[in-house]
Amino acid sequence: MPELKDIKRMLYEQGYITDDSVAMSVFLSLQLNKPLLIEGPAGVGKTEIAKVMANALRTDLIRLQCYEGLDATHALYEWNYQRQLLHLKMVEHNQQAVEEKEKTIFSDSFLMKRPLLQAITHDKKPVLLIDEIDRSDEEFESFLLEILSDWQITIPEIGTIKATHIPQVILTSNRTRELSEALRRRCLYLYIDYPDFEKEWMIVKNKVPSIDKKLAEQITGFMQQLRTIKLEKTPGIAETLDWAAALSALHIDHLDKNIIEQTLGVVLKDWRDTRQVQMSLSELMEKTGVHSKL
Amino acid sequence: MITRQTSLSRNIVQFCRFLRQKGFGVTIDEESLSLQALQFINYNNTEVFRLALKATLCHNKSQLEEFDNLFHEYWKEINKAVDSKIKEEPKTKTTHQQQVSYKALKKWLHGNGNKEIEETATYSIQESLSKRDFSAVPEDEVDELMQTIKTIAKRLAAKTNRRYEFSAKTDMPDLRKTLRKNLRRGGELLDIIHRKPKRNRVKLVLLCDVSRSMELYSAFLIQFMYAFQQVYRRMETFVFSTSLKRITSLLKQKNFHEAMQQLSNENNGWSGGTRIGESLDAFVKEYGKKMIDAKTIVVILSDGWDTGNIELIKSSMGVIHAKSKKLIWLNPLAGFEDYKPHVSAMKAALPFIDVFAPVHNVESLKRLGKWL
Repeated sequence: MPELKDIKRMLYEQGYITDDSVAMSVFLSLQLNKPLLIEGPAGVGKTEIAKVMANALRTDLIRLQCYEGLDATHALYEWNYQRQLLHLKMVEHNQQAVEEKEKTIFSDSFLMKRPLLQAITHDKKPVLLIDEIDRSDEEFESFLLEILSDWQITIPEIGTIKATHIPQVILTSNRTRELSEALRRRCLYLYIDYPDFEKEWMIVKNKVPSIDKKLAEQITGFMQQLRTIKLEKTPGIAETLDWAAALSALHIDHLDKNIIEQTLGVVLKDWRDTRQVQMSLSELMEKTGVHSKL
Repeated sequence: MITRQTSLSRNIVQFCRFLRQKGFGVTIDEESLSLQALQFINYNNTEVFRLALKATLCHNKSQLEEFDNLFHEYWKEINKAVDSKIKEEPKTKTTHQQQVSYKALKKWLHGNGNKEIEETATYSIQESLSKRDFSAVPEDEVDELMQTIKTIAKRLAAKTNRRYEFSAKTDMPDLRKTLRKNLRRGGELLDIIHRKPKRNRVKLVLLCDVSRSMELYSAFLIQFMYAFQQVYRRMETFVFSTSLKRITSLLKQKNFHEAMQQLSNENNGWSGGTRIGESLDAFVKEYGKKMIDAKTIVVILSDGWDTGNIELIKSSMGVIHAKSKKLIWLNPLAGFEDYKPHVSAMKAALPFIDVFAPVHNVESLKRLGKWL
């Protein structure tokens, strides 16, 4: 098992710049073998933590994307009906007993494993990412609770399948819906907010190595200011990185009003936001310390 | 799991107790988890120690924000009290704190949105109409208001049984069951079993006061009930003044004016006095058993002005409250700012009501969707 400082190093090596509270939560979640529930606004790297963790542990990442109406057949398992039918057709003229045929088509090779079943039958302890759990409905949440506490799944035709390894679970939520207290109590809780200037600057430099140092500073400063405005959709780190990569690819080494106006679409994804920012651009740039060359 | 009694673990137990006093829910499980966490960290480092406790004891955002202050407060006290043999329990404002968290919980239970911002319908209606009291709508704007009410009713109904939409689209064969059934015939698919998405099974029972004091409102409320009944089938409607009358089948008729005409011809008690207790009691005795169950929401529309038996109100409200999923009382008078439910009937009914809300304008009708 890795030590706390190893976790920090691992996260850093994987290009994930973070603070101590994130490292501590990841570390304790590993040590205590508890699921980790991560909340926070969109685009701050919640999902990324799972990827980094899988990488750091040198294991596989199994991902379950939640959506409204997600049910057991999409999360757990489903029989491969087409294959079952084909098989039945093929053995149609065999003098096999019905029971025999039944046994064959309800066996492992006709079973389609969905993420949750995959995770508990995996041959090495995997990282199971249950993404955007707040999007699923309450029924699924309570179903998940059962899995998270028992670590076994019952398939009527086969029997109960026990987990070979208890997976390392990461749940993420954008807080569109409050999660149940029962689920919260099963997990360690972590809230990730937008990064401060220092952290975001480090991330930009780390993820876009080719970027001009001054530009990285300006971009970060501008984004920090941008987040103080009330927008429909506040840009996250992902947008900062996209923007940095775009500007760097254009061989730009400083921000000015023109460049910002032309590339604002990378950062803002809502036309009302775009309009609002364009109107207050001069003010924003002044606050950031980017002076128009005009 | 940890049995070693060190002063550190005792301190943590104390700290958890301190947190609970501050209205910070910590379960035994979390407490033991935080003790377990200690074996993996270097707890001589205060910073590391704090982070570890924070990671194990918090489980929502507001707790994360509160934690640091409480942590510092507690350990400061500890440092001060280190020499004293019996440490005094930290002074707390327990009751106050708990009330706050209870309120927060209640707010959360009822959907944690800000009431003022909450929007049910996505279309917009004119400000003037939506905020105007029903009793003050001039004749020529009535039609427009009716239209609005209809749209809201439709939207509310659509919201409650959202899953209906699905079934039209997907009359999906249930392959699992189909295969099972046909296996006996060697897998030739002769019978195909279909499945439909599950429906929301919430039932509504509406009881509307049509006595004289409600006259100004009941026209609109009946219209609302009519519109609702048209789009939401699992609903029963009653009107009452001095006696109770079931109007479900009347409201299911296609023509509203005919329905209204018939209604006023039949019912002589309209716009008379009110006997809420007797009416509710009649409802409970006659329909209570078969109509109210744990999936039923009962909505009562009344101003609470009553000339009848108060004891009957208490007993019948108690029965309805106990048997139904939710009991909602909508009162047109509650929309006025200085309203207090001081009418004796209202006072008697209040303890049994899950949601007490105003229903005096379109805005408040829209909000109805939140409670259904």
